[in-house]
Amino acid sequence: MKRKKNLRHKKKPPATGGLSLFQKPGIKFVRSCPFSGKDAPTIDYKNIKLLKKYLSESGRILPSRITSVSQKKQRELSQAIKRARLLVLI
Amino acid sequence: MNCYEHTLIAKQDLSDTQNKKLYEKYENIINKNSGKIIKTEEWGLRNLATKTKNNTKGIYYHIKFEGVGKTIEELERAENIDEGIIRFLTVKVKKHDLETNYFEKKDYYDKKEAPRTTDKQ
Repeated sequence: MKRKKNLRHKKKPPATGGLSLFQKPGIKFVRSCPFSGKDAPTIDYKNIKLLKKYLSESGRILPSRITSVSQKKQRELSQAIKRARLLVLI
Repeated sequence: MNCYEHTLIAKQDLSDTQNKKLYEKYENIINKNSGKIIKTEEWGLRNLATKTKNNTKGIYYHIKFEGVGKTIEELERAENIDEGIIRFLTVKVKKHDLETNYFEKKDYYDKKEAPRTTDKQ
């Protein structure tokens, strides 16, 4: 007797490069964390160019749900930004 | 021994010789208190992002050193008293990154594009 497939385990939405007009309604827009993976930049309070990408125009830290930074890296990032702020670099 | 990075911002109105004295003073403090300097970087005069303690510009100096807790205690105690310093920061790192210098001044002539040739007839 064949086992029934577990229907609860749906396929993960494919990681699409960008949103398109013709995508199916179920597909989620997934982006991987920019700081994990191969040749990812290391977070450093001296690298102002990198940190400025994760700040709003008024200098506030952007939430990770917008930038899709992982939870662990977001903690590192906010620490680095606060250090740079103390040194009046940002 | 732990690895530390220390950055200090000195006031702009000091002369070059005064600045050198200031750096030497703090390097001596590190050396006397069982510390060892590994690398120093001069980031030079930079615009501050916001006005801090009535200053708009500051001279940045960065020291990478090994030391113990007492080294930092003495260093920061001396800096707290000093009026020529705007701010300072000490960060503990696992390993010193001696290769990248984010504030290195690139040579102006290296990056400069070739002069445009105007074709006016």
